[in-house]
Amino acid sequence: MSFLQRQLEDPVRFARIKRLFYAGLAVVAVAEIVLPRLFHGTESHFSFEDFPAWGSLYGLVSCVAIIVVSKLIGKLWLMRREDYYDS
Amino acid sequence: MTLEWLHPGLLLIVGAWALPLLKGRLKRTAMLVLPAAALIDCLLMTPGTYGVTSFLGQELVFGRVDRLSLVFSYVFSIMGFLGMVYALHVKDDSQHVAALTYVGGALGVTFAGDFLSLYVFWELMAISSSLLVLLRRETSAVGAGFRYLLVHIFGGLLLLAGIVLHWSQTGSLAFGDMAAYSGGLAWAMILAAFLLNAAVPPLGAWLPDAYPEATVTGAVFMTAFTTKSAVYALLRGFAGTELLVWLGAVMAVYGVVYAVLENDARRLLAYHIISQVGYMVCGVGIGTALATNGATAHAFAHILYKALLFMGAGAVLQTTGLRKLNEMGGLYKTMPITLGLYMIGAFAISAVPLFSGFVSKSMVVAAAGENHRAVIFLMLTLASAGTFLHTGLKLPYYMFFGKDSGKQGKEPPGNMLVAMGLAAAACILIGVFPGLLYERLPNPVDFVPYTLQHVTSTLGMLGFTALGFFLLLKQLDPVPTISLDTDWFYRRGATGLLTLVRGPLARLEYGFVGEIYEFVIRRPVLGAANLFRKLDSFVVDSAIVGVGRSTQNLSQVLRSMVSGNAQHYGLIMAAGVVALLAVAIFVR
Repeated sequence: MSFLQRQLEDPVRFARIKRLFYAGLAVVAVAEIVLPRLFHGTESHFSFEDFPAWGSLYGLVSCVAIIVVSKLIGKLWLMRREDYYDS
Repeated sequence: MTLEWLHPGLLLIVGAWALPLLKGRLKRTAMLVLPAAALIDCLLMTPGTYGVTSFLGQELVFGRVDRLSLVFSYVFSIMGFLGMVYALHVKDDSQHVAALTYVGGALGVTFAGDFLSLYVFWELMAISSSLLVLLRRETSAVGAGFRYLLVHIFGGLLLLAGIVLHWSQTGSLAFGDMAAYSGGLAWAMILAAFLLNAAVPPLGAWLPDAYPEATVTGAVFMTAFTTKSAVYALLRGFAGTELLVWLGAVMAVYGVVYAVLENDARRLLAYHIISQVGYMVCGVGIGTALATNGATAHAFAHILYKALLFMGAGAVLQTTGLRKLNEMGGLYKTMPITLGLYMIGAFAISAVPLFSGFVSKSMVVAAAGENHRAVIFLMLTLASAGTFLHTGLKLPYYMFFGKDSGKQGKEPPGNMLVAMGLAAAACILIGVFPGLLYERLPNPVDFVPYTLQHVTSTLGMLGFTALGFFLLLKQLDPVPTISLDTDWFYRRGATGLLTLVRGPLARLEYGFVGEIYEFVIRRPVLGAANLFRKLDSFVVDSAIVGVGRSTQNLSQVLRSMVSGNAQHYGLIMAAGVVALLAVAIFVR
């Protein structure tokens, strides 16, 4: 059993990975709010970029929007059976 | 071509024909030496104009060597080398000849200083790359290969028509900035031909149609050359064209939308080529020094990481025979090295800090920001999130993790792993030392990718995209479907057109149009002809007959007078004299 397999298949270890992931997200979001203010290192081109944790928020919104909108377009219009062009 | 300058493309195109003559180790050595020699050739070049020949009174320039063509030639020949390493185990010479010719064609396009030599290499690329699809020799591949070839022949003809028109209008074949001819028909035709090869929608459906059908090794070559040589041509001729800004941004999002729906692993990656080339097209459109640098840098980085991703998906296809995501899963246990190398490519395309995409994509996005184009900036950033979502999360999740399919994979042959390792190393090298790439860009670079804000906001964006992915995982489960794209028009639309022609249109023709013809054309014409015939027989004929008759009667009279008898003539003369005398006497 490889290292990766042990991490993923043992529920205790997998739960630990999950916790680490959420902790990492929190650290990144806080860093995004705090660090630029601390070091005055802002080089934004637009005012919306200065919104606290802009990158994190826009990332989440983009991800959800892409999935929801694409699935909607796909189901209503674009998706066809695999043999569509063969028949 | 003089001895002081050897065309690296010609080296590959001619050299390729030596491969079928060689055997075993010697052949494998030649497969690597040829692209390596082309790379060294490019590295040794100094800017200038070489290989000028005269043809039809026109100057053909085969060697325009400047900073822009050099940086593209480096990455094209590096990619040629990596592709040959990946294909080293393949026992099909025709594939190798086609691949090397394809790379040589791309180098030819890169160094072409005039439209005619550009066109020749452009077509050479179309033909050699279609062979890489056809040579998979399966029904679906042959169909896709022919569609690919037909689309590119159409594009090539468009280019040729544009070139001929441009030539007749300006008297010059030189290939340079086309801004002066903006809006003209020749300008539009050449631009459309370039956009077709760059896979810009709605002209880009050939790409996701053909690439997933190509051979495992051929697809790796195809990801690199056709679209990126078109980006080069756009940079050369159409930098600063406003239309391209919007087409590029739409393209970046369009590829992402289709990637959500896609079930075929290599087709999903193909849609992400469209998305990534969107950044380059957008950069060309913005046209500032930063933007064109960004488009060039992104083309460079993209060729390497995209090849790596296709190599990974190709390795899975080769060892398991699987191409559909809903049939894969759990392969991380048997293919950990492939997974690790694939993930390096995935991080690079997703623009994770310390990987190549981070230092190249951000130049284009920053150029949009510097240009105060908020909508474009937001579209490109959204597409970035989508790129990570699919290439970095969805594809590896369903391919290597997810529900175990029970299918046993194994690591691919050593040469394929070496090629992936080299490409992965290049992705990290560029990401860690961006200066290596920046100092070779066409314009001087004044751009710092590793700033506090850029790194933190990128990490935030990627992290929370991952969060969104795991929250909506159920929605993303791959389903065995295909998605309609603009290739519908020639795959189904054409069938519909034929049915329409054979059925209703034929009936319309025989019934309605035929009847109309009968009443509107045939009968009136026949009637009129009849009338004219009568007119002819009664009026014209009688007139002619009448003239004839009167002439005949007159002749009869004259004949009785002209008897040929001298006594009669004397008598008539005497009668005339008497008559004259009578007139003279009585009128007095």
